[in-house]
Amino acid sequence: MASCGPVVVPSLLAERAGLRLNTRYLSTFLGARFLGYLLFAAVAWELGTLVSLPPAPRMILIGVIHVLLAGVLLWYAYSAGHACAQSCSGSKLVSLGVTKKRGVAGAAALGFLTGLSLCPPFVAAGVRAAELGSVAAALLFFAVFFVGTSVWFVPFVGLGCVARNEAVTTVARMAMVLIALYYAWLGLTMLLGRKLYGY
Amino acid sequence: MATKARIWKPGDTVPRTIGRSLLLTLPIALWSLLMFANPQRQSNRSLQIASVITSIFMIALFFMMMRTGSTYRWRRWFFVALGILFPVGFIHNVMVMRGTMGIPIEEMIAGRTPFCYLPIPLLILPAAFTKTLVFPGSILPGGGMSGAGMAAMAGVWLAITLVVGKGWCSYACFFGGIEEGMASVPTRAKLRRIDPRWRYGPWAVLLVMVLLSLALFEPAYCLWLCPFKAVSEYVAARNTVGMVQNGIFVVLFGGLVIALPLLTKKRTQCAFFCPFGAFQSIFNKTSVFDLKIDRTRCSPCVLCKTACPTMSLTDESIARGETLMSCMKCGACVDACPKHAVVWHIKGTEVATRPERARLLFLYAAWGMAVMFAGSIIAQGLATILHVLV
Repeated sequence: MASCGPVVVPSLLAERAGLRLNTRYLSTFLGARFLGYLLFAAVAWELGTLVSLPPAPRMILIGVIHVLLAGVLLWYAYSAGHACAQSCSGSKLVSLGVTKKRGVAGAAALGFLTGLSLCPPFVAAGVRAAELGSVAAALLFFAVFFVGTSVWFVPFVGLGCVARNEAVTTVARMAMVLIALYYAWLGLTMLLGRKLYGY
Repeated sequence: MATKARIWKPGDTVPRTIGRSLLLTLPIALWSLLMFANPQRQSNRSLQIASVITSIFMIALFFMMMRTGSTYRWRRWFFVALGILFPVGFIHNVMVMRGTMGIPIEEMIAGRTPFCYLPIPLLILPAAFTKTLVFPGSILPGGGMSGAGMAAMAGVWLAITLVVGKGWCSYACFFGGIEEGMASVPTRAKLRRIDPRWRYGPWAVLLVMVLLSLALFEPAYCLWLCPFKAVSEYVAARNTVGMVQNGIFVVLFGGLVIALPLLTKKRTQCAFFCPFGAFQSIFNKTSVFDLKIDRTRCSPCVLCKTACPTMSLTDESIARGETLMSCMKCGACVDACPKHAVVWHIKGTEVATRPERARLLFLYAAWGMAVMFAGSIIAQGLATILHVLV
């Protein structure tokens, strides 16, 4: 929750209010995150050594994921503004609130990328999965890991009760830009790590 | 009719006579003497002289507030002095103790940085989930902190905050004075059209910093975004990352604290960036005091809106007869209003009924806090200058 919170909270606040709408957003986010988990589990088991890769390639992989996450967040922030400017009707990415076209690209992309983003407990789980006897066991392990960690997301549904107005949407968009800058920085430091840290 | 007879009229009570002003200043004078007559200062001659000067300075400013009825004009002298003298005393102390303004990460982890209130909102979630304070500062002489000490500091802050609300940002913050001083330099703003949505900036920074502090388990604001690191203690740069961190501090300080206040005549760091300010805004709801606009007197000329250093007055809020929750109670709008329509107010009472009494009660609380909290900082800065020069 701590790792995904900076991504989930602002993007949820950028959506329209309502418990049903927020539940749908979170479901999409978690579903895509689950897919990311399963993909990681399969690769972790198949390679057996993904999480114990030499630091440099692993850093590059995580760095790319973080840069992609930053890009999606920036796109999301832009789309949220665009959607509000057109009375929440013309957005390509933020369209969960539109009754006719229920696009899920934004929530899904964020969920999938945070699913692949390697937070410390996730790496520990990856090591465990890599040690298991079969790919099915690795997938099951990650499925249970997903259920266990997803419980912490339930309180976020409550953000649907926060009334949406220009202030809340603007704060959410600004926050998304700041988080995007943070992830971009994190990704770039990982990609250029050796030079940045001077060794 | 009895109520009507009590309605305050401009000039009813201010300017006051010298005797009455002195009488009203007496409680602050006694409080000031109590605060500055510290036996520990006896051994330090520079600090002794500085304490006397500060005490006289604070009492004189309060006297002038009482005498003239103006708040902002006199408060600004104190606030700018605080903003300038805080880095002087702080940098001197850091240089004496550490030999450099740069703080190595080991020192930070060991909690050997001085106490700062800005990270308070960032501590809440990590503390709630893990019962651990990710606080970068110390409140014990040798570094680190104690639970009782932290509780005492939190208690003092809470007690003050509940009474004055966001008035903290105008009477206690030792950072805001630099930009208020900068904003006072130009006679007219060169940059007048500011998108009002920038007002939401502090809330966005607060949201991001609270979430990141929980995720990273570190005071993210102190490590990455605090503009005042540029004039207090920066990160000891050992690699490119450290240099980038310091670069961010310098750019934010130069932009938000120096350049933009000069261009806009606003406290831009406070109005558009400071997460602690956003946090304090919440307590404006619990504060006893606020500012109201007496619609029967208001023209509206919007001079108050122009004067407000944090854009806490809008056409809509003026029409509603109130300020936004970001109001720092500095009194600029009250001083600017030619019709005395903007008034100090105690919640639960009728608007414009005895506003001078409301102002007086607020100022006793706010100035008492200023003397206690900021006075010692001013004295320390002055003592440093005296020590170096004399």
